[in-house]
This record gives sequence, C-alpha cells and structure tokens, in this order.
Amino acid sequence: MNYLLGAFKPACNVLISFTDGKNRKQVPFKKENGQSVTVPLFHSQENIAGKITIEPMQGKKIDHNGIKVELLGQIEMYFDRGNFYDFTSLVRELDVPGEIYERKTYPFEFSTVEMPYETYNGVNVRLRYVLKVTINRGYAGSIVEYQDFVVRNYSPLPQINNSIKMEVGIEDCLHIEFEYNKSKYHLKDVIIGSGTNTHVETETLAKFELMDGAPVRGESIPIRLFLSPYELTPTHHNINNKFSVKYFLNLVLVDEEDRRYFKQQEITMYRLEETS
Amino acid sequence: MMLDGTEDEEKFLAAGIAGLQQNSFYMHRALDSNNLRDALKYSAQMLSELRTSKLSPHKYYELYMRAFDQLRKLEMFFEEETRRGCSIIDLYELVQHAGNILPRLYLLCTVGSVYIKSKEAPAKDVLKDLVEMCRGIQNPVRGLFLRSYLSQVSKDKLPDIGSEYEGDADTVSDAVEFVLQNFTEMNKLWVRMQHQGPSREKEKREKERSELRDLVGKNLHVLSQIEGVDLDMYKDVVLPRVLEQIVNCKDEIAQFYLMDCIIQVFPDEYHLQTLDVLLGAYPQLQPTVDIKTVLSQLMERLSNYAASSAEVLPEFLQVEAFSKLSNAIGKVIEAHPDMATAGVVTLYSSLLTFTLHVHPDRLDYADQVLGACVKNLSGKGKIEDKKATKQIVALLSAPLEKYNDIMTALKLSNYPRVMEFLDIPTNKVMATVIIQSIMKNGTRISTSDKVEALFELIKGLIKDSDVSPNDELDEDDFAEEQNSVARLIQMLYNEDPEETFKIIDTVRKHILTGGPKRLPFTVPPLMFSSLKLVRQLQGQGQEENPFGDDSSTSPKKIFQLLNQTIETLSGVLTPELALQLCLQCAEAANDCELEPVAYEFFTQAYILYEEEISDSRAQVTAIHLIIGTLQRMHVFGVENRDTLTHKATGYSAKLLKKPDQCRAVYACSHLFWVDDHDNMKDGERVLLCLKRALRIANAAQQMANAARGSTGSVMLFIEILNKYLYFFEKGNPQVTVAAIQGLIELIMNEMQSDTATPDPSADAFLATTMRYIQFQKQKGGTVGEKYEPIKV
Amino acid sequence: MVLVLALGDLHVPHRAPDLPAKFKSMLVPGKIQHIICPGNLCIKEVHDYLKTLCPDLHITRGEYDEETKYPETKTLTIGQFKLGLCHGHQVIPWGDLDSLAMLQRQLDVDILVTGHTHQFTAYKHEGGVVINPGSATGAYSSITYDVNPSFVLMDIDGLRVVVYVYELIDGEVKVDKIDFKKTSSNQSAH
Repeated sequence: MNYLLGAFKPACNVLISFTDGKNRKQVPFKKENGQSVTVPLFHSQENIAGKITIEPMQGKKIDHNGIKVELLGQIEMYFDRGNFYDFTSLVRELDVPGEIYERKTYPFEFSTVEMPYETYNGVNVRLRYVLKVTINRGYAGSIVEYQDFVVRNYSPLPQINNSIKMEVGIEDCLHIEFEYNKSKYHLKDVIIGSGTNTHVETETLAKFELMDGAPVRGESIPIRLFLSPYELTPTHHNINNKFSVKYFLNLVLVDEEDRRYFKQQEITMYRLEETS
Repeated sequence: MMLDGTEDEEKFLAAGIAGLQQNSFYMHRALDSNNLRDALKYSAQMLSELRTSKLSPHKYYELYMRAFDQLRKLEMFFEEETRRGCSIIDLYELVQHAGNILPRLYLLCTVGSVYIKSKEAPAKDVLKDLVEMCRGIQNPVRGLFLRSYLSQVSKDKLPDIGSEYEGDADTVSDAVEFVLQNFTEMNKLWVRMQHQGPSREKEKREKERSELRDLVGKNLHVLSQIEGVDLDMYKDVVLPRVLEQIVNCKDEIAQFYLMDCIIQVFPDEYHLQTLDVLLGAYPQLQPTVDIKTVLSQLMERLSNYAASSAEVLPEFLQVEAFSKLSNAIGKVIEAHPDMATAGVVTLYSSLLTFTLHVHPDRLDYADQVLGACVKNLSGKGKIEDKKATKQIVALLSAPLEKYNDIMTALKLSNYPRVMEFLDIPTNKVMATVIIQSIMKNGTRISTSDKVEALFELIKGLIKDSDVSPNDELDEDDFAEEQNSVARLIQMLYNEDPEETFKIIDTVRKHILTGGPKRLPFTVPPLMFSSLKLVRQLQGQGQEENPFGDDSSTSPKKIFQLLNQTIETLSGVLTPELALQLCLQCAEAANDCELEPVAYEFFTQAYILYEEEISDSRAQVTAIHLIIGTLQRMHVFGVENRDTLTHKATGYSAKLLKKPDQCRAVYACSHLFWVDDHDNMKDGERVLLCLKRALRIANAAQQMANAARGSTGSVMLFIEILNKYLYFFEKGNPQVTVAAIQGLIELIMNEMQSDTATPDPSADAFLATTMRYIQFQKQKGGTVGEKYEPIKV
Repeated sequence: MVLVLALGDLHVPHRAPDLPAKFKSMLVPGKIQHIICPGNLCIKEVHDYLKTLCPDLHITRGEYDEETKYPETKTLTIGQFKLGLCHGHQVIPWGDLDSLAMLQRQLDVDILVTGHTHQFTAYKHEGGVVINPGSATGAYSSITYDVNPSFVLMDIDGLRVVVYVYELIDGEVKVDKIDFKKTSSNQSAH
C-alpha cells in the first residue's frame, strides 16, 4: 500500500498518495533521522499526480486560509545545515480559505515535471525531492506535511566511450601501464582492465587490490572490479552551481618499502535503465 | 645469523598458523549457521595469512596446506549453498568483491570448482577465467601456490574425453590449453624467483627453487593423465608448447628439471615417436644445462622400454632411434666444445647401453658408438679425471654385462682403443672388471687369437706401463690384482691340445714381460696349465705319435717350454717355488716316461736347493718334497737313481737341526723300499738309513742332556721305532725282532732315567705305539705271527 | 651335534680359479661350527673367504701356502673327539696309510685329517679314522689323476661321527656317508 503517514498533528491527519502508487517502483531512502524507508521512484518529465486527504480529528473542524501543495527540489549543503536551496519549486492551490468539518480529498497533478538532477545523499551535500502540503491557518500555525520521493534519471549508452590508459611508475625502475576498458561506466558495471600493483580509492569506497607482486615486462594482468557492491550514483557535473559528483580510479603502487605512488583518473558513472 | 633467521621464520609461521586457525574457527561457525556473508568474510581473512612474504617456500607450504584443508570445507559449503538455491553465478561474483587479491583468487578458484561441478557454465569457460584471473598474483611463491591450488581443484574437472565435463566438440583441447597455460604461468613465476632478492643469496634461492619444482612439474603430470592426450595431440600440441616454454624461459634449473620431467611423465612410446622434436630442443637449451644427464636419462628410459618387451623393438627400428640419438649426441657435443670428458663419455655410455638393449644383434652399432667416443677423446691423452674414467669403465663394462661374454667385447674393434684412454690405475680396474666378468660367467677362452686380444686388453695388469714404471701400489692390492690374472689363466684352454699349446705359448709370451714382481704370481698357473696339457696328451695315447715330430704338440715340447720358462726365471721366482715347480715337472716327466727330462728337472731342483734355499725351515720342507717326489719316481735307471737318492740322503743329514736331520734321514729309508716295485726294495739300505737316524737321535739326546732339560729326542726314538715296525711289517728281512726289542728297551730306559724331563706327548706316543703292537699281535694271521715274538 | 667342515688343497689361483659354484652355494655362513683345512689354500683371499663361512678356522701349512705362519701340525678337541690336522707332504710315502697311521699315533688323535694327494679317502682302523677330504677345487695333482672336487663334512654327535663326502662328478654333487663310532678302548691311555 502506498500510504505514507505524515507527521501526526492533533488537528488532522494529512495523507499524500500517488496515483500509480501500487505499481510504482519503491526504493530505499535514508531519512534525515537516519531511518530507512522506502519511497516511490520517479524520473524527470514524469507526471507526478495523486491525492491529498485531509481528515480532521473526531469532532473538530479546521479553519484555514487556504491549502496548497508544492513540489520542491532542494539542495542542502551540510556546512549550512537546515538551509535549503530550492532549485525547483512548483505550486498547486488546492482550496480557498474555508472550514473543513469532515474528511476531504484533493487530487493534484504536476505534469511533465523537469527534474534534471538525481536524488543524492553524499558526505557533503544532499539533494532531495519532496512534496510539501501546507494548510495555512494564520495565527493557529500552519499544518505542513512532507512526502519524499526519489528521482533517478537514466542515461543513454554513451556515444563515445574510450578506454583509459595511464601509467604509474617509479622513475627508472618500474612503469606500469594501466588500461581500463572504458572511461564511462554504468553503476552495475564491471571495470575490466589490466595493470598492476594498485588500489582504487574513493573517499567513501573500499580499497581493491589489483595485483600482488611485480609483473615482468609485457605481462598483462587482468583487472575485474564489480561496482555494484559500492552503491554508486551517476557522475554529476555542477549541479545548479552548488556541487558536483565525480568518480576517480585512484591507482596506488606500493613498493617494498611501503612507499606509495599515486595516479588518478576520472571515470564517468551513468545510470543505465534497468531491464528488470 | 642463519640461526636467527630460522628462529624468526618459526615465529612468523607460528603467528601465521595462529591467525589462520582463529579465522577458520569463525569461518566454521559461519558455515554451521549457514551465514554466507560471514563465511566469506572470515575465509578471506583466513586466506590473508597466505599474503605473507616472511616465510621460506618450505614453511609457506606448511601454511598453505592448512589453508588448503579449510578450503575443502568451504567448497563443500558452497556446494550446499547452491543446493539451497543460492545462484552459483551470484556466488562467483560475490567472492570477487573481496578487497585483497590473494584471498579473492583462492575463493574464486574454490567457487569455480563448484561452478564447474554445477555445469551451469561450460567447464572450459570457468577454467579459462580462473587461469586468466590468477595472473593477478605476480609474486612467485604466492603465485605458484595459488596456481598449484587451481591445478589441484581442477584436475578432476577437466573436460577430458570420457569426463562428465566433456563438452560438445573437441573440449580436450580446452583441457589441454588450460593446463598448458597454468604450466606456462607457473614456470614463469618459478623462473622469476631466481631474479628476486640479493645476488649473494643465489645458492639459497636455488635450493628454495628446487623445493618448489614439483609444483611446476605437477602440471606435466596432469597433462600426461589426460585421457584425450593421445600421440597425435602430444605430438602436435602438448610437446611443442611445453618445449617452447622450456626453451624460451632460458633458465638453467627449469630447463634441466622440466626436460627430465617430460621424459619421466610421458609414455616411452610417445618419446620414441617424437624423438626428432625432443632431441631438436636440446641444442636450444642454455649452455649451462646438464644436457648429458637429461639425455642419458632419456636413453636409459628408452633402453628399459626396449628391454620391457620384444614387441616394441620394431618401433625403435621404424623411427631409427639409434641414428637419431647418435646424431643428437654428436650435435650436443659439438655445441658444447667445453663439455667435460666425463659428460662426453656419459653420453656415449648411455647410447651404448641403449643400442645394446635395442639392437643386441648389431655389434657394429656398439662398435660405432665406441668409435665415436674414441674420436671425441682423441688428442686428450690418458684421461685422469676420476669422473671421466669412471664413466669409461661404465662404458666398457656395458657390453660385458649385456653379453656376459668377453668374446663379444673382443669383437669390438674400438674396445681396446677406448681402453687406451684410461689412466694406469683405472686401466687396471677395467682389466680387473673384464677378468671378473670372465670368472663370473665361467667364460672359457679357447683360441690363441682371442687370448692374444684379451691380453692386449688387460695389458695394464700384465706389465708395467712405459709411462710410469714405478707406480707404487699397495702390496695387497697388487697381490689381489695379480691373483686375478692367475685365475684368468685357468680359463684359457681348448679341447684340442694343439690350440691349448698355442694359447700357453701366447700367455707365456705376455706374462714374461711382467717383470720380477708379477712373475711369482703368473708363472705358477702357467706351469700348471702346461702340466695339465701334458696330462691331457698322456690320456690321448701320445705314445702313438713319434716324439720327433715337431709339428705336433708333444709333452717333450711342453717340457722344453717349461724348462725355458723356469730357467729364464732363475732369481726371480722364490727359490722355494721354483724348486716345487721343478719337482712337479719332474714327476710329470716321470709319468711320461721321459727320463732325461725328469732328471734334468731334478738336477735343477737340487741346484736350487743347494744354491738358493738357505732358510732352515724352507730346507726342511724342500727336503720332504724332494724325498716325497723321488720316492714316487720310477723312470730313472739305477745310475741316475743312485745319484739322486745319494744326494737326497746327503742333504737330509746336513739339515741344521738334529731332529730335522733325523726325520729326513728316516724318511729317506722309503727311497729304498717302494711297495709296488720289486727292484726297488733294498732292505739293507733301508736299515742303514734307520740306523743313521738312530745315531742322529742319539746325538740329539746327548746334546739335550748337555743342555739339561731339553726334551724331544725320546720322541725321535719312538718315531724311529714306528719306522722299524713299518718295515718289519713290510717284510724287510733286515729289520729284526731283536732290533725292535732293543729299541723298545732303549726308549723305556730313556724315559725312566732320572735325567729325563717328563714329556706327555712322548708318553702318549709310546702308549699308542705299544697299543698298536698289541693290536697287531691280537690280529692273528701272518701279522699276528710276525708280532708274536715282540714282547711289550 | 657339531658340524665340522674339512676341506683343503684348493690351490687357488695356481691350479684352479675358485671353488666350484655348486660348492659355494652349499657352503653358507652360519651353518658350520668349525672348519679344518689341511693347507694349500694358497692365498689370503681364500683364507678370508673361509673365515666368512665360519670364524673358527684351523689350518696347517701346505707347501704352496703364501702364509708361512700356519703350523705343520695341529690338534684340537671337538666334543669327545680329538682331531689332528696336517697337510701331509711331510709324511712319506705320500698318502701311505700306514705312515699316516703312525702320525696319528704320534699326535694321539681319533681323527686325522690330511691332504696333499687330492684324493678323497676315509680310512677306518683300530686307532681311529684317517680322512683326506681331497681337493675342494679339483686341482691338478701330480699324484692323483682326474681329480674331482670334494670336501668333507663331519657331524660329531657324542661318541659318533658321521662323515659326509661331497664330490662333484660331471657337474653333479654326489654325497657319501661314512659312520664312525668311538669306543671307550679308543680313548687314549691317560
């Protein structure tokens, strides 16, 4: 069932449901309080439609100055926590000022909504989409209800996907050339390549040992790195001038004395439409 | 330092084992509770212990074996997981999420094994992925063990013919490809070990490497076990690929080991059919590789194969194995001009063994091999390198062992030429080997030609070499060696006396070159061989042949030869021996009724006695022999006989010690009384001898009395009494009862006299003598009658 | 029961290369308690070989023995029997039984073993037994024609001795047996 109960207010219950809630794909979503819930998944240009049901508490009436629903795309920088920057903001007025005595349902629809950015939960920044229902009550304080949803956008297969070549080496001693099969990977992809003696590192991801021992000249060492266990997001460049998400393959060559030699190469991650 | 290193290593090993055990404990707990995630986590941690670089291969192996046992359990768990519905494909990906590469690959191989068993993917694809991914470990030791693990878990899952993993089409080649690739990679890693670490530890590294060699060789073994590797596939794929790797790796240790490995693991039949290819690889190996050993082993294998069954011999002929091996050896030697002589000879020795087994009927091949050896050794002079000479001995011994017959070796024209190269001591050893072979097999050498060839061969024993005439040899060794020659002489004879005579003449010619040290050993057997021949001619009724006929062998001719031999040897043989031989000849001449010859030998014996024999004990023995022989001679006329007996009694009476004189003189009494010859019964002279003996005994007695306390002369009297009894019984009229009675009384008196020292043996002798007289008296008949008057 | 091997006149290597192989295979170490050898071995190798068969080895000197320390005669006591040993070239006429009997009286022995003639004999008389084991190698002899290799094994048991003669005739070993029983009257007087 697609009912998500919002914050319980003494005056009334506000329920937000999506029209195709029964069939829509649900994905896990981590809320601010760390709680994991499942929320519906949307793509850009989709219609976001549903119903909002307002049900006053037994024997109470709600006196309001109007009801609206907003669709917000927000970026929150963690160094400025609580301060949201809205890059998308759409509003639908649901009711004119009046009184509600009994349960009342309002349909709403945002048609072909542009949602260019994906939901993102990073170490420094968060990008989220949310439906916000506001029952304006003047002095009594407005009643606000949120419904998160996740946006993911699929990319087409890149037209150009060159392999990556790079060299790590200790001067006059060891040069290892790495070659990865491509520079753009989808999120469940497997990095296939060859090279040596290295770790791929990201700030948040685990190390992956590629090779043990030094290969001889001309030796080709297979590399196979499954990306799926790392739950990556696509690469994002300059989201609304606020942030970017980039991925690098960081090769580390460790010599016998435990000295490390680095070489970094950006790779592009993209989301491929899942077939299942 | 070494000690510290070892101790440290023990510590590291202990720590590794502890870590491994701890993690395997958690792994087991996870397995018991079907917790896949934890099982993977702890197994990876357990395998991380194998990432160590601190252990020598030997110790690392210990750790590996423990991990190996744990992985078997993990594999069973994976199998159960798939039965419980876990997708093997997912599992195959899942283990690859492990961060560290070594544990990741061990796990991958383990799951891979289950994957193949599940048959959800063709075995060949999984194997290919595994063998490829294992490239990630480039550390030689860790890589070798990982790949060894791969080899271990995969060897029963190869898509071989008849295997349940066999695919639709030609999957044997996939199996072969997989093993070949793993072999190639392992060999590369193994070779690279050599180049790691400081050069001062080269030796240690080589030792460590050789400890690991079987890990590499195991792959060849696996290949040999693949059902689908038939001769064609071996010839077209396996051998060329393996050889390619061996040649290209350019590593001495690997090349030596693996070439040998090929020979050991694959069937002999394959070797025979791929001889060209195999032999073609040898010249391409590193110059330092011990090719001769490998090649020798190949030939040894093939020799044994040939020996195993006569049915395989046509195969050898069909592929012309001999000429191919022969060529290959030639090329190898050519390619290694500085090869040690020992190596060269080893190769020819192996080839000779080979041809002896494969072509026992082709002596020309054997001779060819020896000839090639001669060619290669020529210009080197006498070879003194111990290893080389040992190999030459082995080479020359091979035909002897094969044919058990020196006659065959004598047919090999190059045989003596090879022997020429041996230094003097080894030449002697070889000669001894030849003689031993003859003795062991009881080979009779029956023509003078062959004897000539044989003596040419063993001349090292027969005479001093020109090069170093004064080689000092241990006396016992020398005696042993010369005694073996003496034994050999016994084996040289023919049924035909003519030929035997020729043989004796040949032997004589050779041994006379031996010098004074050898002759005492070699002349007696020659003499006795000659005397045997004389005996043989006697048996053939030689009388029918006129003696004057020079063209045929006669005893006379032989005696001439013997006489010459003894004469030329005067002063060389010990006089005792010469005298004995003269007496032997004299007696033989007596048997041939050749009086002058017999007399001649006797005269010589006397000359020797008079002029050469000075030791008193030797004189006693010589006198006994002279009297004993002369007593048996019947050929002499009265005059000659008188001369000889007269001298004999004269010598007897002149011996140094009185008791010896006495005994010799009474022994001479027998010269005048020969039972079967009535014309040789001179009772008077018998009595003269006995009386003379008595006089000497008396003199001895007086000397003894003078010396006070000397014993022994009573013994002489009792001995003479017995001689009296002897001739009395024989019917010598000169020996009377009175004389006997008188002698008994004399003895009794002597023994009871105050001055007599008690002599238990004289007492006993007297007692047995008296008892004898009693016996004879009681016998009755003529004897009893005769003894009747004697009172005791 | 005591086994005594008597063999002599091997004349190795002057007249014979070695003991016949058939004899060698019969003579195995550990079966025999004593070896008595009248002499003419002639070389140390033969002595050493006999020693391997049985360490209790008694030898008297033959004229061809390179070892000159062997005694001319030797006596030993085995069980109830007194044995005498002598090569025999000193006893003239050679092989003459009466003369040998005299030597036996002189040595005061029950069994006298001699050699020299290369002719196997076992002669029983009032005073005991005189044995010649012949030549173990069948060596040439000026005295005896057509010598067959032979040796003697004596089984001494109490007052009884059984003498087995092994003779190699045309490649086959022939065994003969002579029984000898000692009576108390054979005991020496003292």
